[in-house]
Amino acid sequence: MAAAAARWVLLPGARRRLWGFTERLLVGGAARRSLYFGGNRWRNTQAATQVVLNVPETRVTRLDNGLRVASEDSGLSTCTVGLWIDAGSRYENEKNNGTAHFLEHMAFKGTKKRSQLDLELEIENMGAHLNAYTSREQTVYYAKAFSKDLPRAVEILADIIQNSTLGEAEIERERGVILREMQEVETNLQEVVFDYLHATAYQNTALGRTILGPTENIKSINRKDLVDYITTHYKGPRIVLAAAGGVSHDELLELAKFHFGDSLSTHKGEIPALPPCKFTGSEIRVRDDKMPLAHLAIAVEAVGWAHPDTICLMVANTLIGNWDRSFGGGMNLSSKLAQLTCHGNLCHSFQSFNTSYTDTGLWGIYMVCEPATIADMLHVVQKEWMRLCTSVTESEVARAKNLLKTNMLLQLDGSTPICEDIGRQMLCYNRRIPIPELEARIDAVNAEIIQEVCTKYIYDKSPALAAVASIQGSMQDTGTHENTPELTLPPSSTQSVSPRQQPVLPPKYWLVSFTLFYSHPL
Amino acid sequence: MAAMALAAARLLLVRGSGSWRRSRLRSGAPAHRCFSSGGAYPGTPLSSPFPGVPQPVFATAGGQEKFETKVTTLDNGLRVASQNKFGQFCTVGILINSGSRYEAKYLSGIAHFLEKLAFSSTDRFDSKDEILLTLEEHGGICDCQTSRDTTMYAVSADSKGLDTVVGLLADVVLHPRLTDEEIEMARMAVQFELEDLNMRPDPEPLLTEMIHEAAYRENTVGLHRFCPTENIAKMDREVLHSYLRNYYTPDRMVLAGVGVEHEHLVECARKYLLGTQPAWGCEKAVDVDRSVAQYTGGVVKLERDMSNVSLGPAPFPELTHIMIGLESCSFLEDDFIPFAVLNMMMGGGGSFSAGGPGKGMFTRLYLHVLNRHHWMYNATSYHHSYEDTGLLCVHASADPRQVREMVEIITKEFILMAGTVDVVELERAKTQLMSMLMMNLESRPVIFEDVGRQVLATRSRKLPHELCALIRSVKPEDIRRVASQMLRRKPAVAALGDLSNLPAYEHIQAALASGDGRLPRTYRLFR
Repeated sequence: MAAAAARWVLLPGARRRLWGFTERLLVGGAARRSLYFGGNRWRNTQAATQVVLNVPETRVTRLDNGLRVASEDSGLSTCTVGLWIDAGSRYENEKNNGTAHFLEHMAFKGTKKRSQLDLELEIENMGAHLNAYTSREQTVYYAKAFSKDLPRAVEILADIIQNSTLGEAEIERERGVILREMQEVETNLQEVVFDYLHATAYQNTALGRTILGPTENIKSINRKDLVDYITTHYKGPRIVLAAAGGVSHDELLELAKFHFGDSLSTHKGEIPALPPCKFTGSEIRVRDDKMPLAHLAIAVEAVGWAHPDTICLMVANTLIGNWDRSFGGGMNLSSKLAQLTCHGNLCHSFQSFNTSYTDTGLWGIYMVCEPATIADMLHVVQKEWMRLCTSVTESEVARAKNLLKTNMLLQLDGSTPICEDIGRQMLCYNRRIPIPELEARIDAVNAEIIQEVCTKYIYDKSPALAAVASIQGSMQDTGTHENTPELTLPPSSTQSVSPRQQPVLPPKYWLVSFTLFYSHPL
Repeated sequence: MAAMALAAARLLLVRGSGSWRRSRLRSGAPAHRCFSSGGAYPGTPLSSPFPGVPQPVFATAGGQEKFETKVTTLDNGLRVASQNKFGQFCTVGILINSGSRYEAKYLSGIAHFLEKLAFSSTDRFDSKDEILLTLEEHGGICDCQTSRDTTMYAVSADSKGLDTVVGLLADVVLHPRLTDEEIEMARMAVQFELEDLNMRPDPEPLLTEMIHEAAYRENTVGLHRFCPTENIAKMDREVLHSYLRNYYTPDRMVLAGVGVEHEHLVECARKYLLGTQPAWGCEKAVDVDRSVAQYTGGVVKLERDMSNVSLGPAPFPELTHIMIGLESCSFLEDDFIPFAVLNMMMGGGGSFSAGGPGKGMFTRLYLHVLNRHHWMYNATSYHHSYEDTGLLCVHASADPRQVREMVEIITKEFILMAGTVDVVELERAKTQLMSMLMMNLESRPVIFEDVGRQVLATRSRKLPHELCALIRSVKPEDIRRVASQMLRRKPAVAALGDLSNLPAYEHIQAALASGDGRLPRTYRLFR
């Protein structure tokens, strides 16, 4: 009687996610930061003054240099530990766009202490994983390891962000790797569409640029750009050392003091200001006649991470929901849109999203459809959005609130999602929101508030739209001004409403963006 | 209308004042009052505590997780297995010895259909929606997954809802209505899944299906996992019932739970799963397929134009995919662990894959194959294991013109498996296997699957630390022994794409039987 069905945990790749459909409830382009908060269920919001939870506390300590150390100990034999840094492509300009991401790549290319090979061997031999990602506003380096290896993991993280060699030869080699990564990203249509969506929605601003940067920048970014980026942005007050799994906060704190205490200085002078990023209702259509399906995203401007309306928009987002053909008629019957698209056979899949940044956000939907059904699909989407503003019912809202809580709480399973949640919340809110508070915030939403908040952000707003598709079928039909999506009420209920707002952009640009057809991007 | 006008007014206010923070403050109402009054929404940003929320009292983990597992067998033969776990959620489900491997005497695709029909209407619940609503009251979600040998119905929910969840699971598994309308919906879902399988750029699921077909010609795990298109229209309630009668029996089921008290779970099981008559009646199972997997080896080819698989404007190189496999062993045998270590040692992945150190950069398929032959696109090792057999296989892909070269590189790697094993590489593979095991087991649904599958197969559970001890004890000679034993078998080969340069099956077989893995030289007059 040997290992029995342990195969399921012993075979790489053999495991499908059991809860695949709860992933990416809220999705956002290449930035891909899903907005999930931490916690556990708890119902009795108003009566008690104390509430007992069966989850560990998130402990937070601030070092003298401003670095925040945050952790949660759940007694596992493995852990995740990482550095969450308040710096991403948004802090770049046209010339150095791509630097944050380039730097992330260089982190694994050797330090003063370890060559690239030493680093790779050390990590692989201890059964650990080292990874990093860059989004538009954050850069993250993290390690997964056995809990007993926590000290080594922290030491390695400290080494790679403070002592990277940034060797000229390695920089040259990495250009090729990043260009290859760019090709890879271009085969993922969802990422392509979200990049276009940002490009149009935040045109001429830092959020409109891609994370990878344009090819010419990738070819020209040099050692000085990288060093400048580190010295400007990798500063104590903008970094969080977060950990979850089997970690003792006291041990982590000692490690933080030892490895970061004396080295990460605070900013001399002002912290660089966040460049303002204005939203522009506009669109980009990319034509490719060989494509079998149309991929499109449409979004209105929503709010930043910490804005009080965020929770309400997340409930609205859950109301629209996600759907995929293989669900059949089921699995997401709580979404009226899923029922409509399923019965009308209007699309292959759709995913509602709410991507937040510090002071702005995109609230919308991503769809994959047959070219012939785009117009009908957009029509039902608009109808559903308008229903949110006018006639969404209390029972639908109650259900969406429940689903949102469930999805957020069930997502926090395993050390990596929890660590990720701690790190991101520390950067966005400078605290980890306790579960009872999060639930109280969701509980406070009702149908009237949904209507009010959705009206504020959706009704009569110019949306941003990005589409990659064949021009055959209805893409051509919707190519005129009249047929582009307009978010207005059904005629019967328009009396008390102000006339349609003019787009904020100069008219010339507005038209240009409407008639933009690329045969090939980039 | 009134609300709308109000909203419009507020909108202007907010826009006008420029900053939402200021305007919020100016509007003035204390945030906590919004609870009772309705209408106005609390204006406290997420960066500040929400007024009126009670102080949370947190728990402590209390030492390292022990994974202690309890098993109880009910009078009808159904097993109940559980492990408790820190946290307020539980994952509970029913696992059944049912899947495509039992479909020899039935219409192929039944298990696939049952997966799509899961959590539809039952005796007590009029619709899938009602089921979902009931679950939502307990913060729960559900899922059903079918593999070649096991079907799992599972729910994750607040532990307080355990009774409801078990009652619901019992109803879903034993009393489905299987209405005509639902079967029609399942047809559509199956059809869509087949289309997606053929359309997606990642051919791995399709190749896995093909290599099983080649390795176990027309028997057990070699039967189609996905419903063949021609069978979609033939499914009806009668067919499904005749299958369910034989396979959905208590002795073939485990009720598994993670994050629950064992006694409570057993109590719920007695209440809902004992002495109940399933929808297909109480007649005895008469026709249960107990055949043991027969490894045959062989080749399955699918000639396909892969020159334009890209779904978008970015071009994707044309690739031919091959998968070569050999019979390993069942997960019930002691050799399963050395095979798992061998699989880890081979490792591999895409020539360009995301992820930093830790993804297996020093595994053989990286060091010997991808790092040396930059024209290869992918080389990945997989290990499939069942209760009576197993299959270790390597997937590789490259330009169609280089298929012969690619096949030879892979056959050479197979021969090297039985050669010298470096102690450092073995230790690395063992450590990585243990860390993968423990990291996977961080997640509650994975623990659930582990408890359920082990108890279903062996009536008990090997705990993670026992598995780690077994992994630690693997020696170089174990790897060589299992690899040489594996190389005595005929290979199973799957090939997809432009196959004009694919060597003959007999030549691949000869290469694997040779000392060095080389393909026999072919002298062709015309090339």
